[in-house]
Amino acid sequence: MTWRAMALLAVGAVATVLLNACDRRPDAPRTGAGAEPSITVVIAEYSKDHTRPFWQALSEQYTKQSGVKVDLRVVDWNSIDQQVSTMVQNNRAPDVLNLNAFASYAKDGLLYAADEALSPKTRDDFLEAFVRGGEYRGKLHGFPILSSARAFFYNKDLFAKAGIAAPPKTWDDFTRAARKIQALGAGTIGYALPLGPEEAQAEWAVWMWNNGGDWKSGDAWAINSDRNVQTLRFLADLANRHKLTQVNPGKTNRTDGAFQLFKDGKVGMVMGFSPLAAQLDAEGKVSYGVAEMPTNVGQAVTLGVEDYLMAFRKPGNQQAVKGFLDLYYQPEHITRWISAEGFLPVTKSGLAQMASNPKLKPYLDALPNARLAPTTDPAWDRVKLDVQQTLGLAVQPGGNPKQVLDQLQKNALAAASGR
Amino acid sequence: MGRRGPRRWQALLWLGPSLTLIAAVVVYPAIALVSASLSRYSITGVYQGSVGTRNYARLLEQQALPAVVANTAVWVTAVVAVTILISLALAQLLNERFPGRRLVRWALIVPWAASLIVTAKLFAWIYDYYFGILNRALISLHVIAEPIDWLGDDATVMGAMIAVGIFVSLPFTTYVLLAGLQAIPGEVYEAARVDGASGWRRYRSVTLPLLRPALLVATVLNVIYVFNSFPIVWTLNDRNPGFAHDTMITYMYKIAFKSALRDVGLAGALGVVNVLVILLAVVVYLSTVTWREAEA
Repeated sequence: MTWRAMALLAVGAVATVLLNACDRRPDAPRTGAGAEPSITVVIAEYSKDHTRPFWQALSEQYTKQSGVKVDLRVVDWNSIDQQVSTMVQNNRAPDVLNLNAFASYAKDGLLYAADEALSPKTRDDFLEAFVRGGEYRGKLHGFPILSSARAFFYNKDLFAKAGIAAPPKTWDDFTRAARKIQALGAGTIGYALPLGPEEAQAEWAVWMWNNGGDWKSGDAWAINSDRNVQTLRFLADLANRHKLTQVNPGKTNRTDGAFQLFKDGKVGMVMGFSPLAAQLDAEGKVSYGVAEMPTNVGQAVTLGVEDYLMAFRKPGNQQAVKGFLDLYYQPEHITRWISAEGFLPVTKSGLAQMASNPKLKPYLDALPNARLAPTTDPAWDRVKLDVQQTLGLAVQPGGNPKQVLDQLQKNALAAASGR
Repeated sequence: MGRRGPRRWQALLWLGPSLTLIAAVVVYPAIALVSASLSRYSITGVYQGSVGTRNYARLLEQQALPAVVANTAVWVTAVVAVTILISLALAQLLNERFPGRRLVRWALIVPWAASLIVTAKLFAWIYDYYFGILNRALISLHVIAEPIDWLGDDATVMGAMIAVGIFVSLPFTTYVLLAGLQAIPGEVYEAARVDGASGWRRYRSVTLPLLRPALLVATVLNVIYVFNSFPIVWTLNDRNPGFAHDTMITYMYKIAFKSALRDVGLAGALGVVNVLVILLAVVVYLSTVTWREAEA
């Protein structure tokens, strides 16, 4: 028994040492004798049809022209945080990473700034709003990869049936419209409100901004401002007092929940974005219109979302990374991909090229009034998760909007001070 | 003695590949888990040094922990107990000869063969408030008057998850018990019948005691599987904010990647605790069972 245990331990120890040794191998592109240089590129999967084919082709083209091998990994959104975190933990960070956050990586000193990883021509083509959305301490670290904007979707058939002439402009119009649609009966729902963990922060931000509130006041977090408490009470009342939403909006996700109901024609209004429009067009079941968000303060505001490309600072990889990024940012490449995925441009050349597409008009029109989440603040990376896990509780029966926002504010301050 | 030495090394040679495999997939991750639990990582995963046992102390401070532990106890106990009860009946049924038995035996494998995530997704749609067939069926049978949000209502989420947990545990458990039943020699039953034992008496005094080894295996393995089960709870609970319906396994994942904590070190500490809890549960179970056996 003991010798067996000892043998097992011995083998285990040897294997552990070996595995550790593999783990600690230098992760710079291997430029040594015989080995070809290579970079690891991690891309989030925006769609099954377009993401991998595009990046595969781009990688092959890059290898052909530069000799640098590309280890391409297309990762689904559900597991990308986990996979990237594990890579960083094991000292095997990717060279190029696509994600919806960047500031924490910049804060940890893992990233090249734009002047190190992009040619000036590429850098100058970015739209200014997205440059600001990618800055950490005044320097661009999160390079915009694509953008999207939310818009207000309404079901034209249900609007006609309920006798509503035009999409609502104000919150009062909105509540009235929701009431009329809900009154149609037969399971119709006024507004599909997804405040479940998937994307609560996005839905919330749009309502918050359209009531004159914000995440921050100046540089300080202001999640529990009076305005915001009022907004969350409005949403809770919509669900529990007026009963104009689907059941349990705090426990409904966007993709499986709210969008599914709208696609099924059960819902009068929902906050969507261009990929939802593409799905609705493909199914052809619902006749829908796209409008500006209803607002309580005069000027409608929508949420813009910027996703990022980051270049990781590792010994000897700078030229390889720079070459790869410059290839992606060539107008014909970036614009071809963004168009295929149904998202919005982040470059001046892309905007000029895509402006003529009538399908994109409502979103491009909304873009000037779009606001971004405070992604440039590393604390946001925690605040976002906190909002996803708690905001829904406020709109459940018996939920307490003020208490939920107070706790979020407290946690945000703790995150800002570095825990 | 002199001959046993070299033989040992020969044995090691034969065992080598599997020992290496065990080292790679069991020993190494275990070491990595313990070392992670003693470390601090930034939100991006950058190692920031050792913190000793502080992660374990912080784990105890988490407000969600008591509810999560209670959920885990309910989840494991309910799934394993009900699975064993139903499997006993199913195994008995499949042990009888009846036309189409082979077909039923095959059909029982299906939930086992399907991927857990696919099964869980399927049940998420079955339970759905608006599109699910469960509500439609229950309403047309006049069991309920209004649809129920099975996965959104705090009162029903755990029950809905437990039902799926039982569904996917049945095949394995039934087959273990069926194998146990088939190992019971027919003479024992004959003797019981000669002694005039009734059917129920035969079951209690002959079948159950002789089934004990199979029951033991089925229970221990199920406790481990069900405790460690991730996909069912994760998928059916994905719409619910917070940690009110998480088990220790899904809570660990949320600590690491989905909550504001985003703390791999803290999640590692819970991972170590999870391993210890399951070890302890199995040891306690085995020792009470063998104790009762000695008494009997």
